[in-house]
Amino acid sequence: MASTIKREQNLDKLFSIITFSAAFLVLAIIVSIFISLFRESLTAIDAFGFFGFVSSTAWDPVRENFGAATTLYGTLITTLLALAMAVPVALGIAVFITELCPKVLKPIFGTAIELLAAIPSIIYGMWGLFTFAPLMGEYVEPLLQRVFEPIPIIGQLFTGVPLGIDILTTSIILSIMITPFISSIVHDTFALTPVQLKESAYGIGATRWEVIKDVVVPHAKTGIFGSIIIAMGRALGETMAVAFVLGNKHEIATSLFDASATITVTLANEFTEADTDLYLSSLFYLALILLGMNFLLLAIAKTFLARKAKS
Amino acid sequence: MSDQIMSVKNLNFYYQGDVHAVKNISLDIKKNQVTALIGPSGCGKTTFLRCFNRMHDLYPGHRYEGEILFEGGNLLERKDITELRSRIGMVFQKPTPFPMSIFDNIAYGLKLKGIKNRAELTDRVEQALKQAALWDEAKDRLKQSANGLSGGQQQRLVLARALAVEPDVLLFDEPTSALDPISTSKIEELMVKLKQEVSILIVTHNMQQAARISDQTAFMYMGELIECDQTDMMFTNPKEKLTEEYITGRFG
Repeated sequence: MASTIKREQNLDKLFSIITFSAAFLVLAIIVSIFISLFRESLTAIDAFGFFGFVSSTAWDPVRENFGAATTLYGTLITTLLALAMAVPVALGIAVFITELCPKVLKPIFGTAIELLAAIPSIIYGMWGLFTFAPLMGEYVEPLLQRVFEPIPIIGQLFTGVPLGIDILTTSIILSIMITPFISSIVHDTFALTPVQLKESAYGIGATRWEVIKDVVVPHAKTGIFGSIIIAMGRALGETMAVAFVLGNKHEIATSLFDASATITVTLANEFTEADTDLYLSSLFYLALILLGMNFLLLAIAKTFLARKAKS
Repeated sequence: MSDQIMSVKNLNFYYQGDVHAVKNISLDIKKNQVTALIGPSGCGKTTFLRCFNRMHDLYPGHRYEGEILFEGGNLLERKDITELRSRIGMVFQKPTPFPMSIFDNIAYGLKLKGIKNRAELTDRVEQALKQAALWDEAKDRLKQSANGLSGGQQQRLVLARALAVEPDVLLFDEPTSALDPISTSKIEELMVKLKQEVSILIVTHNMQQAARISDQTAFMYMGELIECDQTDMMFTNPKEKLTEEYITGRFG
């Protein structure tokens, strides 16, 4: 009798050790990634410092002068443009599916969105390079240029030779990639709106549009914010699709029709060419900055959601 | 017959798939009175209540037959449903404050009606809060989120929101079933007071509540109206055997 109890206690202990190790492994991997990136970056950190590296637009492998400003710029600008395009579309999709779509069509649209999220990014890249970019370069961008270039100030964004391999094309492809993430999370939070809450709004004479605008969307605010953060993380880190259609040009681009480079694209393209210690170390430094940015983003989201949950 | 505000004539209601939920009901809703609908769960009283503001129209496959006369016409045939719903307010089982401030909650219906003048909005919000006996508790926190109020306060807020648009009729669907006894008695007091201004139709599974606050009571069973009479008559001397069995607690 006593021995059975003893054995069960031992099993309990063993089980808790196993699960603890599994959880601990996650922590250990994250910390070790941070440490190894930091160690590999040390040479570059010594050479350029933090602010020096981040603010420098140089990327000159021959003279071994490296800076992160151009790739950071490319990363942020494509991500922000992609978000600006994806968020309204994704919200529209979510509103349509939850509130307006006839019941028979719901599963069809729902599955289509999920499929869009399931497409591997390399396929987006191939499609972007061989189908979408030529289409942009030949038809869409010349048209945009004709319409917008004469307008002062805004016109600057539409200068240059539209080739299709540029910031605009990249941002559109990124936005297509992140749209399903936003819309499926937002759709789930929309579906959580209590029926009685919606009926109350209808009950004092609101129209369908007013119910969506004043009750459903505000009720889902937290979910919308969370989905945008997740999508942003994904856009920041996206490599394959971007590598195909952004070109790899280390310059601060002022036109949507300029090629550019993101951190991820630079890493993917240049490790094979990095023939000096400083070059290699600078690439690791870029990776460290990207990881730091993602980490920061997550932290902001977590604190926001925690504060939200408290109030 | 000017003492009735609405008159139900041979009303039938079917849910999707021809489920017959309200069966041939005829009933007068008296002006400035409280009419209580009682009956066991599933008897169709909530379904019946939701015909009055056409809430069923939000869902596909429903069908109305018969008439509900209101303002000289059959409201089941009206096209301006949003206008109708601002005339016939509704308060639900659980408090349903909108995700906005206390002030905006009450002003919401007014804004929908196109009232934009700040001074008028402020006046009418204050008036509605006073009518719902919430002014003293809420006047210093009008800008705060309505979710910070207690359950009982939220239900009075919802009542104030419904009152702000000055409806002719208020529909209550078991408005106190989620509330504690003190909040319940406050809502009951309010209903008795408010009937000076609006006509009230309340669904309740609480027979004591019906007896306390209503002027006439209608007893429903399996989609049919079994009996409707003055409340004191209903509870002391019901005509139908089924009514007597229900109010004496022999089933339900």
